[in-house]
Amino acid sequence: MSNAIKAHRPADATLTREGGSKGFQIDRLRRSFPAVFLAVLIVVFTMMSPRFLSLDNLSTVLEQGTVLLVTALGASFIIMAGSIDISVGAIVAVSALVAAMTSDTLGAFAIIPAVAVGALCGCFNGLLLAVGKVPSFVATLGTQVVYRGLVLYFTRGAPVEIQDEGFLAAYSNVSYGIPHTVMIGLALAIVAWAIFRFTVFGREVLAIGGGERVSILTGIAVTRVKITMFLLLGALCGMAGLLQGARTMAATSQLGLGLELDVIASVVVGGTPLTGGLGSITNTFLGVLIVTLLSNGMNMSGVDPYLQNIIKGVVLIVAVYINIDRKKIGIIK
Amino acid sequence: MTLVATSLHKRFGKTIAASDISITLRTGAVHAIVGENGAGKSTTLRMLGGAIQPDSGAMSLDGVPYAPHSTFDATHRGVALVHQEITINRSLTIAENIFIGDLRRHAGALGVLKRKTLAALAQAALDRIGVKISVTANLDRLNLGELKCIEIARAISSNPKALLLDESTAYLDHREVDAVLQVMQELKSKGMTIGFVSHHLKEVLTAADDLTILKDGQFVCSTSAADIGANEIHRRMVGRDVLQGIYPPRSPPPASAAAPALRVRQAAVGRELNDISFDVRHGEVVGLAGLKGAGAEALFAGIVGDEPLRHGQLELGGKAYHPSNPRAAWQQGIAHLPGDRGSEGLIGSHSVLDNLIMARPPAFGPFFARARARSIAKDLIKLIGIRTSSPQAACQSLSGGNMQKVVLGKCLAVVPGVLLLNNPTRGVDVGAREEIYRVIRQKAAEGLAILLSSEDMPELIGLSDRLVVLRRGVAVREFASLEAVEEHDIVQHMI
Repeated sequence: MSNAIKAHRPADATLTREGGSKGFQIDRLRRSFPAVFLAVLIVVFTMMSPRFLSLDNLSTVLEQGTVLLVTALGASFIIMAGSIDISVGAIVAVSALVAAMTSDTLGAFAIIPAVAVGALCGCFNGLLLAVGKVPSFVATLGTQVVYRGLVLYFTRGAPVEIQDEGFLAAYSNVSYGIPHTVMIGLALAIVAWAIFRFTVFGREVLAIGGGERVSILTGIAVTRVKITMFLLLGALCGMAGLLQGARTMAATSQLGLGLELDVIASVVVGGTPLTGGLGSITNTFLGVLIVTLLSNGMNMSGVDPYLQNIIKGVVLIVAVYINIDRKKIGIIK
Repeated sequence: MTLVATSLHKRFGKTIAASDISITLRTGAVHAIVGENGAGKSTTLRMLGGAIQPDSGAMSLDGVPYAPHSTFDATHRGVALVHQEITINRSLTIAENIFIGDLRRHAGALGVLKRKTLAALAQAALDRIGVKISVTANLDRLNLGELKCIEIARAISSNPKALLLDESTAYLDHREVDAVLQVMQELKSKGMTIGFVSHHLKEVLTAADDLTILKDGQFVCSTSAADIGANEIHRRMVGRDVLQGIYPPRSPPPASAAAPALRVRQAAVGRELNDISFDVRHGEVVGLAGLKGAGAEALFAGIVGDEPLRHGQLELGGKAYHPSNPRAAWQQGIAHLPGDRGSEGLIGSHSVLDNLIMARPPAFGPFFARARARSIAKDLIKLIGIRTSSPQAACQSLSGGNMQKVVLGKCLAVVPGVLLLNNPTRGVDVGAREEIYRVIRQKAAEGLAILLSSEDMPELIGLSDRLVVLRRGVAVREFASLEAVEEHDIVQHMI
């Protein structure tokens, strides 16, 4: 159905002032933009650094990008529904801490408390928004500080190391040449894609983003859907925290700091507008690849590390500038 | 000022919105442009007002060539356009709203606004169009008609010689429409050239001196309003005689001892509705008449669970019914077509199919049943006659009438027991109206209980089996049959 929406071009004379075959082509170009942009990045970086396209580096890219991917999958639902969550990084930190603290006794099963606590944090965000009617930006701005504060309180600022062999074997080993992290990330991507594509929930998320008042009046359980999507994001952040902890073999209060900005950037660069109602998981997947490849490619081609942030910011703005269909969004805020 | 347009053409992509349209607006005369949705009325008016530019054709003002490249440019030449949508910003004052495009000119040193001068100028503009609105009034207390008048005052503030009004009365009720029409007469008497677009033939016949009929983007005829009657206008707009039988014949609901589908007893909701009692039986259309704010909207909000009942009871099929939210209402078989399709009825960026099955998406467990959704959508598109290039087309690409058919389809998709219709044909052209009426009647004949609220009196009379009149939140009169009832019989109870 996302295809149906994107394929649209207003034909009604009273709705649009421009159009014609030119507008149609621009629209088609825009739809394939994330893929084209990704291809351009790959070509450019391959020319700049021959090692960029090596299997070794590809594996590194996927490993580096997994935490971003897993969290961005969940954030896609939130953004497609027209909400936002900026507590993503903090939930990742909380979950990593829970995983670290329980890994000694539970081993690989530390996944259960880590994901559960993540889901709980997300659920609380959802309740604040859906029941408390606090706008999601403000609600998660507040909970972000609280969640990270919890980590600081329990760790007193000191890192908690993860030493359990079983835990590390499960989440940071490599099998058949593929890191477990990457396998888990891709599996979750497929699950998230299926949820979005094949369930009623996925459609309800888009409907809420397209028109919340319409959705309420049409009998969609808006409160329930909103809580569910925040819970889903929380659980995925829990998973991401666990994977991040396994990678760094420790949980710190600084873990996932600023992650939410990369998450939002990935979703938006993939072509999902912040106003909601449009988008797909495939878009997000491409967005994550773009954001990750950009950092990795600049490192590989030896771009001055002190220059990289500037380039990254500019590229993201340019990407979104070209990518967004302003006609559909109407008002840019 | 005489505004002459010759042979205007305008295309939007593949759609020809206006083809070879010529029109002459005379000084001191009101010129109405009429036609069905998509006939090219707004397109023509907006070309005259500079909002869009014709692909070919010529325009002149008092013989001087005129080719505005923007509304700003047109204003400069003395032609002001008032858009269909109300664009008043409620967080500004009335005076600021009137001079919004020109605030800098009224700023003193350091950019501080000269409020007193501005208020005086604004009051003068309001007085000039003859409306009794004080610039110090609270915008939140004004009705839509008054807001429209403020917009006209804004357009007048640039001292134009020609004024173009695009469906200025579309969302207004009786009293509000009268206020706008009066302003038009006032300006006309001062020598203003006025062009307007309207769906309401009654308005056209009262207000217009000249009229131009368009159909499918083509010019049909221009004539003096005195020389043509409503029937003739209708025929030329649609291309055939529709006035006879636009309302399908009633099929009397079977007298039955069964409990009514919906029973309302002494209901009071919000600030507007204080006391109403009536039944809607299966197979019957019950009309609700009343001015805006008389309580019909509040009653609907109460029945669909959007607002709690302050007092009174509701029953569905003889059982007590307390909807806690719209979801509960839909689940118990109540379907609701809201009054504003743009913000409440459908999601414009989503497809026809998505909107049609929105209220109850077919599913196997948590999974969406795509194939079944397609067949449901196909059936509804056929039943209601929704004209769309495909079920996948976005709703915002459809005409107003077809969008409204989608909202009706969304309601019917759940196979409801009770259907609530709030102004089902607002801003809908005659052709689409006919189809909507046909479907409403057909569903009633199949046993659906329908409650219809409308600001269109002929529609209420033509479609309802019975009618309840609301005045200031209280049901004041019930008409058991509408066979011999005239519009004024009802209106006298409303005001």
